[in-house]
Amino acid sequence: MAFTVFIVDDDAAVVKALSRRLRIKGYETLPYTSPQAFLARHDPNVPGCALLDVAMPGLDGLELQKALTDGGSQRPVIFMTGKGDIPTSVRAMRAGAIDFLTKPVRDEALLEAISRAEKWDSESRQIQAELATIESRMNSLTPREREVLSYVVAGQLNKQIAAVLGTVEQTVKVHRRRAMEKIGARSMVELMQIMQRLQPPFHQAGKPLTRRSIDNP
Amino acid sequence: MIPLHGGYRIISRLLPIARVASLFIFAGGFNGISHAVEMPRRVVMLNAYNLSEPLSAASTAARKRLLERYRGLIGIDVDYLDLLRASDPDHEQRTAEFLRKYAAAPPDVIMTFGSAALPFILKHRDAIAPKAPIVFMAVSPENYSLLKPPSDVTGILLDLDLSRTLSLAERLQPNATRLIVVAGSTRVERLWQNIARRTIEAREKKYDTTYLFEMPFIEVVNELSRLPADAIVLMTSFLVDTTGQSFVPNTASVTFSAASPAPIYTPYISQLGKGIIGGFSETFEGAGEAAADIALEILAGKSAADIPPRRNPDGAYRVDIRAMQRHGLDESRLPPGTIVMFREPSVWERHRVLALTASAIIAVLTALVFALLIQRYRRRIAENLLKESEERMSFTAASVNAGFWQYDPATRELWTTPHSARLFGLSSDALRTRDAFVSAVHLDDRTLAANALETSADTVNDVRVVMPDGQARWIRIRTKSHGERGAPNRLTGIFIDITEQKAAEAEAHQKREEVAHLMRVSAVGELSGAIAHEINQPLTAISTNAHAALDMIPPGSDEFAELRETLQDIIAEDNRASEVIAGLRNLLKKETKSSVSFDVNRLVSETIRLLNSELVARRITTSVELGEDLAPLFGDAVQIQQLLLNLMMNAMDAMADTPPAQRHMKATTRNSDQGTLEIHITDTGSGMPFEQKSRVFEPFYTTKAHGLGLGLTICSTIVRAHGGTLQLTSESGRGAMATISLPAKALLVAAK
Repeated sequence: MAFTVFIVDDDAAVVKALSRRLRIKGYETLPYTSPQAFLARHDPNVPGCALLDVAMPGLDGLELQKALTDGGSQRPVIFMTGKGDIPTSVRAMRAGAIDFLTKPVRDEALLEAISRAEKWDSESRQIQAELATIESRMNSLTPREREVLSYVVAGQLNKQIAAVLGTVEQTVKVHRRRAMEKIGARSMVELMQIMQRLQPPFHQAGKPLTRRSIDNP
Repeated sequence: MIPLHGGYRIISRLLPIARVASLFIFAGGFNGISHAVEMPRRVVMLNAYNLSEPLSAASTAARKRLLERYRGLIGIDVDYLDLLRASDPDHEQRTAEFLRKYAAAPPDVIMTFGSAALPFILKHRDAIAPKAPIVFMAVSPENYSLLKPPSDVTGILLDLDLSRTLSLAERLQPNATRLIVVAGSTRVERLWQNIARRTIEAREKKYDTTYLFEMPFIEVVNELSRLPADAIVLMTSFLVDTTGQSFVPNTASVTFSAASPAPIYTPYISQLGKGIIGGFSETFEGAGEAAADIALEILAGKSAADIPPRRNPDGAYRVDIRAMQRHGLDESRLPPGTIVMFREPSVWERHRVLALTASAIIAVLTALVFALLIQRYRRRIAENLLKESEERMSFTAASVNAGFWQYDPATRELWTTPHSARLFGLSSDALRTRDAFVSAVHLDDRTLAANALETSADTVNDVRVVMPDGQARWIRIRTKSHGERGAPNRLTGIFIDITEQKAAEAEAHQKREEVAHLMRVSAVGELSGAIAHEINQPLTAISTNAHAALDMIPPGSDEFAELRETLQDIIAEDNRASEVIAGLRNLLKKETKSSVSFDVNRLVSETIRLLNSELVARRITTSVELGEDLAPLFGDAVQIQQLLLNLMMNAMDAMADTPPAQRHMKATTRNSDQGTLEIHITDTGSGMPFEQKSRVFEPFYTTKAHGLGLGLTICSTIVRAHGGTLQLTSESGRGAMATISLPAKALLVAAK
């Protein structure tokens, strides 16, 4: 599926020009002149990014960004502003914007920001896909395998786990090998890497996955 | 009643005319019945002696009374019989002959005066006027009874009361033992001699009495001169002595009283005043009037026979106080009712009018003196008060750095308070003339000052005065003109040093200018921001389209080189335009904002002070309610002041249509419950309708004819920059309130 740029600006001429420009560059574009129309038709599964004007009547860019996030979407956002006031840009960047472009938007800056968003989006989507694979593998574990695995990840030795579970070391070894096979981890290091990407409660020490942590490793 | 009364008055007025007329008609041919018609009454008065005799006073009094009663319409003839001239025996006969002149037209009444006249007329009446009734006067009862006159003779009996006269002497001289009696030798006087003897013998108290009767005058004098002082001398008249020598009436008594050491008493009033003490006497005037009254009765128609002789009614004790004093007689011993005569009149009595006049003049002069003294006293008080008041005034004036002056254009004289000289930088000993003052004024203002001191209108002029140290001061000359228009007027006025006021005005003006400038700059900034946004939109579209177009050109094809160049030019020009906009924005971007701690209350008060002249001009009253313990605010004080000024100016503008009495602006500061600091600006203006309220913060929205519509936008920007909020609440027609809510100790957001 082609990368789609969702363009939202109350100025139709601007939307049209941007749309034309990005299509020439090979992007799919979906132009909107009202934030409400954009929100109503937005499909988060379409890979792409949002190019939002900050100052729009009814719902400004920052509010729109919040609405997207609240809706569970991780759609990367690029802001455009005619004023370029510092407080607004600071707030926008903190909320996770890819970039904050000042109008009149320079062509290079726009394409650069778009390509960055494309990269971010594809990575994000790849991670999401991997996570989905791991999660489905995790779901294939038996409760006993899952239990043993959680102790393994927590760094417990087989002997210790057997003592906690009230079984023998051999049994723990079997569960452990099966679980690792199901998840697809060939070594202990691989297992740890995979497990780290999972959300709690599978590991307490891991950080939650965010775009920022992906973007800036 | 009225016509009757009027008729009577006419008759009474016509009566005399009727009488005169009848006189003409009947006087000639009808003599015989002349009595039947009303003829003027006629009275003949016969005096026994001559005009110099005291008795003549009686006839004078009688004549006066008659003339009064008849209002002059009565005929009165007076004759002096001169009967004392005894030397000529034919005198009486000649006189009688003379009086026959009355026989032709006999009088209605004959009056006699003096006792000698009655026997004369009784003897000769038949020849003179046989039917005329006789009214006598001054006939003693004794004499009357001796004469036995007929019934138509009546009159006033003159009773020389020797008995009462002697009683008076006894009262005054109770210790006297000797009594001397003196009388003349006329027929009447001889009668008196007898009366005197009988009287004295009849008296209770007995004296060693000597009667100096029938003696020559000189011997009487000798006898009297040898008397002791405590003797009593009783005297009747002494007109003729025993030798026949006659004396002008009363001259004898003068000699007697001069010779006698003892007091002399007499019943003759006429002898008083010549050294005689006095006695019980009657006046000839009183007797004359009484006789006239009888004559009047007869003239009125009463018969003389029906009128018995009467006593003179005015008998009384009469004394000469001077004679009493000379003889050392005690006045307190006088019987009650005594008429004291010849009392040395007091200065008061003698010069009554003079005294009264003098007293009046003295009183007036005294009053005048007092009035003058009081006036002088009052004037001095007034002068003192005036002086004090003037000193106070001068002092007050000097304390407020003012001086009073007064100028008279006619004399070109200028009066000033001493402090005025100091105001004009003149030395204290310099002459305070008009020229001196005018020449102290700065050259540029000199004409103004000269006019101010010569105008004919009430003016206020501000002039500059260069002080000796080179410093310039502003002096306000207030002039008030007195008097008629056109004429040279007297001028009064005040000099006031208004340098500080001028400086404050200038400072306030400058501050206002600064704020106004700031407003303009902010407005341009706000404006350019808005414009930039609007222009950047198309610039974005143009640039983006040009880039898109460039990408549409197949790479490496020469035929599109021109197009590529064109699009590149478009992009370049677009960039240039955006650079201009960006440059403009940077240029107008507010200077680095200072964030300092400041006192909101002071800022509010100061802002109102800046607007003071404007508030006065627009007749707006203000009140300030400043909260206590307000936290100091951090931020840009100039911006906050700009905000306050803007909101206050809005409040003032909103009250343009409010009646002046209700124009009021209120500024309040307080700590709110939310921990913020609130400033309220309230007005009593027209307020805002709802739809207006929702749009006031939009740029370019304005309700003012010449407004930019950026004021509240700027205000909003400033408040937001300080992390606060600005709200406008209003009820249409009932004024509006602007509420600024600022976080206490807030830092400028922009400064983070």
